Amino acid sequence: MREKLLKKLAALHTNHPWRMLLIVFVLTIIFIGLSERLSVTMRWSDLLPSDDRRTIQFNQIIEKFVSATSIIVVVQGEESRMKQFADELAPKLLTAVDTSQNSKIDQKVSELNEKIHELKDKDSKQDDIEKLLAEIASLKAKQNRPIIKRVDYKTEVDFLKNHGLMLMKENDLRNLKDAFTDPNLSGFLTNLNNSMEKEYIGQSESISTREKEDQAVMFLDGIQRLVKVLEKYGQNKKVTESEAKTLVDKLLIGEPYFLSYDEKALVMNAIPNFTMFDTDLLVSGTEAVQSILDEQLKKYPDLKAGLTGFVPIGHDEMVYSQRSLGYTTLIAIIAILALLIISLRMWFAPLFAIFNLLIGIIWAIGIAAAVVGQLNIMTQMMAVILLGLGIDFSIHIISGFKEWRAAGDSIGVAMEKTFMKSGKGVVTGALTTALAFLTMMISSSRGMKEMGIVTGLGLLAILLTTMLLLPTILTLWEKFTVWIRSKGKGEAYQKTRDLSFNFLGKTCESLSKHYLFSLTAVAIVTILMIWSATNITFDQNYLNIEPKGLTSIELQDTIIDKFDLDMNYALVIGDSVEESRTLAEDYRNLGTVARTEDISLYLPSDLKQKKRIPHIRDIKKAMKFASVRSRVSANELLKIKQEIERLEMNIMEMQDMAYIGGQDRVDDKCKQIIGSPTNSDSKNLIKQLLNILNNSSINQQIQGFSHFQKGVSPYFKKSVMQMCTTDPIDLNELPESIIDRYCNQSRNKFLVTVYPAGSLWTDSDFFRRFVDDIESVSDKVTGMPPVFRALIDIIGREGRNAIFFTLVIVFGLLWLDFGKPKYALMAMVPLGIGVFWMVGLMYLTGQQFTVMNVMGLPMIIGIGIDDGVHIVHRWLHEGKGKVRTIFASTGKAILLTSLTTMLAFGSLIFSIWRGFGHLGAALFVGVAGCFLTTVLILPGIIGWMEKNK
Amino acid sequence: MKNIFKIIGSIVVIFPSLVFGQTVTGDEIIAKVNELMNQKSSYAVVKMNIETTSGQQRTFEYESWSKNGGEKILIRYTKPRRAKDQAILMLNNADDIWAFFPRTNRVRKLATHAKKQKMQGSDFSYEDMGSGNAFITDFDAKLLGEEEIENYDCYELELKRKDGVNSSYSRLIIWVIKKNYVPIVIDYYDEDDPESRVKRLVQYDIQNVDGIPTGMKIIMYNKQNNTQTSMEFLDIKYNVKIDEDLFTERRLRK
Repeated sequence: MREKLLKKLAALHTNHPWRMLLIVFVLTIIFIGLSERLSVTMRWSDLLPSDDRRTIQFNQIIEKFVSATSIIVVVQGEESRMKQFADELAPKLLTAVDTSQNSKIDQKVSELNEKIHELKDKDSKQDDIEKLLAEIASLKAKQNRPIIKRVDYKTEVDFLKNHGLMLMKENDLRNLKDAFTDPNLSGFLTNLNNSMEKEYIGQSESISTREKEDQAVMFLDGIQRLVKVLEKYGQNKKVTESEAKTLVDKLLIGEPYFLSYDEKALVMNAIPNFTMFDTDLLVSGTEAVQSILDEQLKKYPDLKAGLTGFVPIGHDEMVYSQRSLGYTTLIAIIAILALLIISLRMWFAPLFAIFNLLIGIIWAIGIAAAVVGQLNIMTQMMAVILLGLGIDFSIHIISGFKEWRAAGDSIGVAMEKTFMKSGKGVVTGALTTALAFLTMMISSSRGMKEMGIVTGLGLLAILLTTMLLLPTILTLWEKFTVWIRSKGKGEAYQKTRDLSFNFLGKTCESLSKHYLFSLTAVAIVTILMIWSATNITFDQNYLNIEPKGLTSIELQDTIIDKFDLDMNYALVIGDSVEESRTLAEDYRNLGTVARTEDISLYLPSDLKQKKRIPHIRDIKKAMKFASVRSRVSANELLKIKQEIERLEMNIMEMQDMAYIGGQDRVDDKCKQIIGSPTNSDSKNLIKQLLNILNNSSINQQIQGFSHFQKGVSPYFKKSVMQMCTTDPIDLNELPESIIDRYCNQSRNKFLVTVYPAGSLWTDSDFFRRFVDDIESVSDKVTGMPPVFRALIDIIGREGRNAIFFTLVIVFGLLWLDFGKPKYALMAMVPLGIGVFWMVGLMYLTGQQFTVMNVMGLPMIIGIGIDDGVHIVHRWLHEGKGKVRTIFASTGKAILLTSLTTMLAFGSLIFSIWRGFGHLGAALFVGVAGCFLTTVLILPGIIGWMEKNK
Repeated sequence: MKNIFKIIGSIVVIFPSLVFGQTVTGDEIIAKVNELMNQKSSYAVVKMNIETTSGQQRTFEYESWSKNGGEKILIRYTKPRRAKDQAILMLNNADDIWAFFPRTNRVRKLATHAKKQKMQGSDFSYEDMGSGNAFITDFDAKLLGEEEIENYDCYELELKRKDGVNSSYSRLIIWVIKKNYVPIVIDYYDEDDPESRVKRLVQYDIQNVDGIPTGMKIIMYNKQNNTQTSMEFLDIKYNVKIDEDLFTERRLRK
């Protein structure tokens, strides 16, 4: 049956090459049409099973919470310049529009207008015309669509000015309330010092966790600003109203801009009008924002700025990974072409092989579009993988055809012999590999499953083009050369030189003769490889898989460094404010959690609000009756100086406690105010202030501080009174920016963000504990840490299953093909040992397993089996005593196909996406390992079998 | 609850012959542990290693004096230079805590609620550092069995917090070396969740110091934060004469 089919096909190529070409052309057009529907996703959650709770939750969050899709602008430079930059950039970002769809829409609109004209000419119904007009209006609304909905780069100052005290914890209110009771400078400083001394151990406690350490830094930041402003007042220099107000705001509600600890970086959060699912907008939106940013940077050459966050990272990963896959594919094509030209010593056939392969890949992409619809992080590599594997089919066909033609056969006979001799092997090899890949379909992970489908079906597509297109091209080319020769314009047909690898044949013959020695030597090497394989470790560091050199990825490190915030946080949805509050509290109680963010930060429980009210009333009462004096007396001046000295001592003690307590951020902030105790040259702002006061006249000081009383104290009193609102805070009262950050659009789901307390990616133990901890609180939790952990577990577990099933299927197929199980086993021995060699070689070449390259193990079974199959086939065909011929000829073919496959996989090492490189490197050594075990083991086995027959 | 200086304490009043071969109860074992831990006084030079909030390791050295079975403790830092002469005084089993700052020459009373908090960035709490007979007064002991741990034959005890007691831990599991009653390993369980282990203390390098078996190195593993604090005794003496006056605010200033 198979032989009949192959013969018929060979005849079709010889007799009707143009007809075959037409069939291929039509099919190619169809597949090109299909491939246009193919989209790409770079979300790791899309590698998990589609019904995985983490995937479902993650997709829900992206769909329902606008804050989950963010564009973060990271600015670096001098503080005041960054703030100025941010103030100017924010309104400009709001003007960003998407123009990418404009021309398409224009075209569609003009088509609709034409239709309307036609309808009018035909006096059609008015309703139909109105429908078309409505469609035009809807399309036009999509033109120049605003990209950015809102830009958050400051805290919600107005809200905090009204409700700041209601948002303070009861303990903090109790401890700090004295500081809010006197607006006059001397009274304020005295109260501040009293609070610091009373609260001392309280502060020490509160800064023992990350969240509270932040509060201490914020408190010290206000003091730093106070000292700087006092320096101006002390010299009776002009302090603007804005400076005075900024001081009060900083003391009462903290720094409004999103500044880093060292004040050298600032972030702005641009909330787009689209989600991560809008792939087109993901690209055009990021590019529009980037162009506005680039334009703005021209005005600020002293600053650095770039984009990060889900959207820019998604954009960069998609654009650059595709671009990089493009050039890795090109590298692979050039390298394979060069190898074929050198080894086959001909030009045209390798070009035909590559052309055939490219058509095959187009078909494969069309099939992938029809079957899976979307390429994910893993399946994006399909073109390179298919390139490496698919070229083998062409090599076998070309070699066979050239061999028979060189032997003097006519085109028709040579083609038939090629189909009968090489075609059978190609079909068996392709089916075995494709079925081995398709076995990965058993995986519940979409990453692995789709990888199996796309590569398995892709390989079958290339097999089809190799059977339908390549022979036609060869036939036509041969007819053309015959015609050229008949015209006497070309050289006479020369028999091909013997291109077999005699050295390989001789070596294998020797190994076969001395099978005891060769098999023992292989056994020793295999033991060493197994030992190496047992030492290989699994790299759980997700950052090592990410693309290298992308700004958006590198800025993530800047955010970790400057803000101590890992952007790979976990997310969970609460179904009510209360649930969100409880979840946040439960998460904060975990040792592995640094901090949480949720609506309850701005919406404390009723009970908490009630408990805070008496303290706020005390402050209000005290402040209401506190009078603001317009002039500072000489006695007060002395008191002010004493309190400034006392303030320095308090900060010194806070610094010493922070040093012993290991609270580096507090220590660093103290250093900014009073200098470093180990560096006498460091700047001490308070000493500097005291020196200035000591060197200026009493009158000057009195006048200066009286200005403080006039400029700062009334605003301080007014602000504190404003903050003393005791009306309960309600969800509807919260500003839109806060609600959007934590609520969905229907305002009935609430997002809780959970930040890890340690390094997730460099400490695998911490990574596992963090995920265990957060999943113990709620099984609804999602985000990169749980998604990645699940992926590692699923791919690890199902990878093992896939290996087992692939082996079973391959064995079954080979049994069918060879007719006897012993030959199937014989062909599989090099593969089995080759897998150990692969892992051993991975260890020896410094590789680790990753979530990407672990898939190389089931894949190598499908790929590596071919070598053994071809040798065993040839041995069975040639018979006893032909080891040299077998390995000189077929050995050469498998060397060539191994090298081309290695070149294709090896090209992935140059990919910007390091995960691709990991898989490429693993398969590179895997293919090498399988080739080596085939040519080292099979001669020995053959020798032993022939001797014992 | 437990005193580090008591943990490394003596077994002076131990009569192993009375114990071996006889059935013992949890109460009896913990009484022995408590007894050996409650040494009259001690002096030590300690090297402590902590992890800072930015993930760096920081090493300190300090001298410490304890009296009345750890009811009074004074710690004075000697290294590094930045911390030199800073001192902490804990009285009434760490209910009252004072600190001295040489840069300002001021002594500050720290609030008592700090007892449950981390001591100076370490994984030990002030409560861990000194609390007299807490093993007996605050917990009910039960012998769970015998087990070999850290290469020692041990009794495994469970200590459950008594009702109304204000301790940071709901229960403890202690492995006590049979031959000398040294609590070689202690697991601490969350204040609210008796199933959740928050810390583990392990003593290493048990040596006889003045006839008292002493773990020369103690490591507190904090399971919650994934951090650990090690305390290594560079020098230790028991039952030394210490002036009562040392444990006063005045002497805190040195």
